[in-house]
Amino acid sequence: MTDPRPSSAVMDVDHLDELLRQCVQCGLCLPHCATWLATGNEVQSPRGRLLLLGELIRPSDTNTAAASDAFLQAFDQCIGCRACETACPSGVPFTLLEYGQLRATEVPPLRSGLPVPAVPGAVLRRMDQTAFLGFLSRVGDLVRGVLTVVAGKTWRRRLAGGPAGTGRLVRLLGSLPTSARSDTELVKMLDGLCGRETQLVGGSPNFVGLEIPDHLPSGPGVAFFRGCANAGLLPGTSRRLRDLLSASGCRLEEPGSQDCCGALATHTGRPGRAADLRRRNREAFAGALTDGTVIVAEAAGCSHELKEYGDDFRTGVVDAVVMLAGLDLPPMGSVPLKVAYHDPCHARHGQGIIDEPRKLLAAIGGLEIVEPAEPEVCCGSGGAWGLRYPELSDELGRRKAADLAATGADLVVTSNPGCLGQIADGLQVIAPDLPILPLTDLLWYAALLRIDSSRP
Amino acid sequence: MPDPIRENPTALLSGLREILGDKGLLTDDAARLVYARDASHLTLGRPLAVALPHDESQLRRVVGLCRAAGVPVVCRGTGTGLSGGAVPGNGALVVGTSRLTDLGPVDSLQRRVRVQPGVLNDGVSRHASASGLHFAPDPSSQSAASIGGNIAENAGGPHCLRHGVTLQHLVSLEWSDADGRALDTGRAVSVERGLDLVSLLCGSEGTLGLVTSADLKLVDNPADVATLLAFFPDLDDAAGAAVGLLGEGLAPVAVEMVDQAMLLAVEEAFGFGFPTDVAAAMITEFAGQSEAVAEDCERASALLRRHGAREVRQAADESERAELWKCRKKAFGAVGRLAPNYVSMDVVVPLGELPGLVREIQVIKARHGVEIATTFHAGDGNLHPGVHYDERDPDQSRRAHAAADAIIRAALDRDGSVTGEHGVGIEKLHVLPWQLGDETARLQRGIKEIFDPQDILNPGKVHPPADAGFAALKPAPAGIDFHWANLTVSAPADASLAQLQQSAMERGFWIPVGTIALDEGVGLGRGTTVGNLVAELLTGPALCPGGTVRDYLLELWAETGDGHLFHAGAPVFKNVAGYDLVHMLCGSGRVWAQPRAATFQLRPVPECLGYWRFPLPSDELQDVARLDRLAEYLAGRDGSLGGPMMIVDAQSARSVVVMAPGRNRPWDLDRIEKDLVNLLGKPTEQIALPFNRASEILTDELIGGWALNSSDWTFLSRLPGDEGGSNFWPAAMRRLIWQSTPRLVWSPDPTTTFPGWHADRFCSEGLVLPPCAPAPGVPRDFLKRMKILFDPSGALETPRWLEGQDD
Ligand SMILES: Cc1cc2nc3c(=O)[nH]c(=O)nc-3n(C[C@H](O)[C@H](O)[C@H](O)COP(=O)(O)OP(=O)(O)OC[C@H]3O[C@@H](n4cnc5c(N)ncnc54)[C@H](O)[C@@H]3O)c2cc1C
Ligand code: SF4
Ligand code: SF4
Repeated sequence: MTDPRPSSAVMDVDHLDELLRQCVQCGLCLPHCATWLATGNEVQSPRGRLLLLGELIRPSDTNTAAASDAFLQAFDQCIGCRACETACPSGVPFTLLEYGQLRATEVPPLRSGLPVPAVPGAVLRRMDQTAFLGFLSRVGDLVRGVLTVVAGKTWRRRLAGGPAGTGRLVRLLGSLPTSARSDTELVKMLDGLCGRETQLVGGSPNFVGLEIPDHLPSGPGVAFFRGCANAGLLPGTSRRLRDLLSASGCRLEEPGSQDCCGALATHTGRPGRAADLRRRNREAFAGALTDGTVIVAEAAGCSHELKEYGDDFRTGVVDAVVMLAGLDLPPMGSVPLKVAYHDPCHARHGQGIIDEPRKLLAAIGGLEIVEPAEPEVCCGSGGAWGLRYPELSDELGRRKAADLAATGADLVVTSNPGCLGQIADGLQVIAPDLPILPLTDLLWYAALLRIDSSRP
Repeated sequence: MPDPIRENPTALLSGLREILGDKGLLTDDAARLVYARDASHLTLGRPLAVALPHDESQLRRVVGLCRAAGVPVVCRGTGTGLSGGAVPGNGALVVGTSRLTDLGPVDSLQRRVRVQPGVLNDGVSRHASASGLHFAPDPSSQSAASIGGNIAENAGGPHCLRHGVTLQHLVSLEWSDADGRALDTGRAVSVERGLDLVSLLCGSEGTLGLVTSADLKLVDNPADVATLLAFFPDLDDAAGAAVGLLGEGLAPVAVEMVDQAMLLAVEEAFGFGFPTDVAAAMITEFAGQSEAVAEDCERASALLRRHGAREVRQAADESERAELWKCRKKAFGAVGRLAPNYVSMDVVVPLGELPGLVREIQVIKARHGVEIATTFHAGDGNLHPGVHYDERDPDQSRRAHAAADAIIRAALDRDGSVTGEHGVGIEKLHVLPWQLGDETARLQRGIKEIFDPQDILNPGKVHPPADAGFAALKPAPAGIDFHWANLTVSAPADASLAQLQQSAMERGFWIPVGTIALDEGVGLGRGTTVGNLVAELLTGPALCPGGTVRDYLLELWAETGDGHLFHAGAPVFKNVAGYDLVHMLCGSGRVWAQPRAATFQLRPVPECLGYWRFPLPSDELQDVARLDRLAEYLAGRDGSLGGPMMIVDAQSARSVVVMAPGRNRPWDLDRIEKDLVNLLGKPTEQIALPFNRASEILTDELIGGWALNSSDWTFLSRLPGDEGGSNFWPAAMRRLIWQSTPRLVWSPDPTTTFPGWHADRFCSEGLVLPPCAPAPGVPRDFLKRMKILFDPSGALETPRWLEGQDD
């Protein structure tokens, strides 16, 4: 099986040139681009990048060093969120910017002067390993706990302006996605928001989760794709998603030999590792693909990346939110909260997932959905991108947090771990009392309430 | 290409860096390449660098420094301009406003907000939405275009049909001149008299100054909106239908159209599922009270069918409506799917000429063998034919440009204008002389020299060369001349306004400027002429439901002090071909020029006038609170026929009269009446009058002793609210008219003074005082030099403050 992810060398420049002519330079994409919004610099805008790309493909001016740092940096600073592709009335495809990005990453960092991630390489290389992330997550919880005791609830805001070294550490800690590990913890937290006290089964703190019916032979078969971040950083959420799927009648299997989808490796310039991971996942899910079992990926980032594997995966993989929206979920109890949903770019722009999460929220009684301004703008997480452009990423996270806080929501939910951590970090600074959770956790809680209240 | 930045890395750059910091000044190749372009696909060269100031003071210092160094400054909003206005020449400094994005608090009582120029058009409406308000100009680029760019181009949009273009939504501007001075246009309300610098700056494309802050008007979100979509098998019929809609006296808020080629592109882009075997699709929108909207939709549907529509459907809900508008607003961008290049045009013709022009474009298309896709702001007579080509094919390019020029000629032959909203920039420099007269072009160049003597502000734009060979002077009308198909009327300055209005009203139209002058003693002063109306910006206290004459004046013939007759504007509903002398001079008295003739837009006359009198209790404080609430209520009621007004009884201050124009339907005035009763209790008198006979029936007695027939009054130009609302009323209540749209106050007493208020003029028998001295911040030196430009020998009236040397 050939590897479909391109390097810039295999892309057909004439074809790109033709695609580029579709850009009418209208500028309608600008207000959708996070990097333009944050900088006000048109070099950091989709149209600006496309103009530079034109120069790269067909140089018009010998005075311009087309491959100069400034050029490559413009492509490199593109988050790859694809908001511009969705916005463009002329159908200019993201492929063009991707070409620019590839060109940028293919130049050795020292020569091009592009920033390297603000974490040690040894850490970065392990960021797609579940076990390491699990470790990181526990350390993170610990340090955060200590910081909260020492510096108070708003430690993130207080430490934001610390000396360079601490700044990085604080940022990393702040943006590490977390959610309740134990069900009890989650229920307590949401109960607190709703102002109620859910009776735990038998009054026991050892909480018993959703009721999972015996598998109906007719239920859809699901091959579950864990994803490194969800499995390592959000193990509780991951399990709750599997419970929800099972409780909705899915027959779940979890191919054991699966691994990270490879997105991070690609974005950190390690195509070899990425190809290796893809190969492993292809093997792990080969069975599912042949017998028509849907592959459900929990994180929007993973489902998006898996779909890039090729046509078979594009049709075989379903994002968990889409899957849930198409199922007969267990009956939901009432959650009287104002909830804002944050669209991960990998869902909204990468896969056109907009209605499904809202449909899921609308199914929860008593819940009011509030829409933030600029829902299409990236939160600035961008995986490794955020580690390489921490300042810009911080600014975008805060901007997003401010938009979400302005809705008057009691709770924010989303469906991608990167966004979860990034927005949590922004909220810590902008609106520390506004919590954010994975969508799955809220759904699980709502389903649980119903079960609970229906018991004697 | 010589590269200024490498050849000449002067002290200027380090000076700029000192002001802007490292992040505020871009000098790299990437920035200089990107900022060399805008949406027009035109280029002039490579800028020296790009400045992105963080505040207004940085911007001014940057401009001042460039002027001292003799380096051109090109202001840039978002670069969505289609005429190359933001494109810099070699070595110019681009000053981007993208970091000037402060939004002031929304003043919901006065319906205003102050914003910095880098705020995006959409952002203003989003900001105001919590107050139930929005910014009315809605160019299709509104999600991306900046307010500064909208102002500099005087942008229009679909809903400008009802609400007017950007100019009509500006209260005042703060700006930097070429020296970096902090200047003001000095208008507290849009009806202030004097040489109107707002009108001059708006549409001047960054060639006279850089707008640093704008006080914008906001309008109410309508109670109800209905949108019709109609498909026409014949393009002519569709154009005819647009004319018919307005000619029937319907008041749609928008009439937009796309032709088949454009429909195909949009379908391909968005797959709405529209039929593509039709020649045109038209969107017509009505907004206002539900009953009025429903009735209008019904009439409009029938009319569209009568004009040959194959299918008329109504958007079922808000999301369907949003989809329809998306189709229209994204149409332009979708042309990228049709061909790699296109010449975009922005011609505008008198409304009745639209079908004829559409036919001629078909002929031109065939003659030149080109493909054309067109979007129309049909209700405005404004259309954007785009001629497609591939620049790699020289013959195709040549034919495309020839066809475009032919279309522009065709529009001018029909008394149109080369640009309705996109501006001249560099793109239309070669066609502008076909439209402008010699004298007009000379005055425009003269203005540029006054404001920017060194020619550093966006040089090379807007002004064709002096020897370009300009058009002949268009003859002025000899008598009152109605063009019913165009919904315009032209008249010489000495024509009687009363006579004009009477003839217009017989057909159900008028110039809505606050007079129903059926006999000579009524309204704007005895025997008022068309010239007076224009020169003095007369806005009578009686029954003034619309804006002022500035909102309806389209074309002006005037004479300079040294006797040169010139013609400005065109009989079209929007026009940005060169500086807006028409509106700049409107209301400037007879100080700079003498009006000789004018063309106005006609609007439907309201059918009836509701009249209610309510007693006021004796407790003054209670009155104040109630009047405040009434004022607030009235301010929020701006129907398509104009807003209501109230008059506090001039004699005794013991009652208040409210009058509201409306439709002759029980539901229309009923609703206002119900609200008024809630606010003020039972009225002691109530009447519904046919509007065009109101002045016969409404006697002085009915409205408080002076309002209709007195021609002596003082016009006050500060508004309640400025002085903290309630404090104002006890004194003011006794003898004032308060009108909601535009928000004005008149006093019948020539000696009226209120602290903090400023009496603009005193009318007596049609005589008006010359405009008062401008407010601080208005550059008096410019006004003095303008006086010399227009009246070199001082033959015209000269107020004291204009005399003497520059201060
Ligand atoms: C898809 C599309 C649809 C469009 N639809 C419409 C439409 O329906 N109606 C319409 O009227 N136009 C339309 N336009 C044209 C364009 O969007 C408008 O002219 C808009 O007002 C330009 O705003 P901008 O911020 O992009 O200005 P720019 O393009 O950056 O600048 C335009 C001009 O304004 C000057 N300028 C900018 N800011 C300032 C300032 N602060 N002070 C002084 N001068 C300044 C510049 O020097 C330049 O001359 C459309 C354009 C596109 C691409
Ligand atoms: S990418 Fe699309 S939206 Fe952006 S400038 Fe080009 S055509 Fe316009
Ligand atoms: S992909 Fe995202 S960051 Fe990159 S240009 Fe497009 S909108 Fe901007």
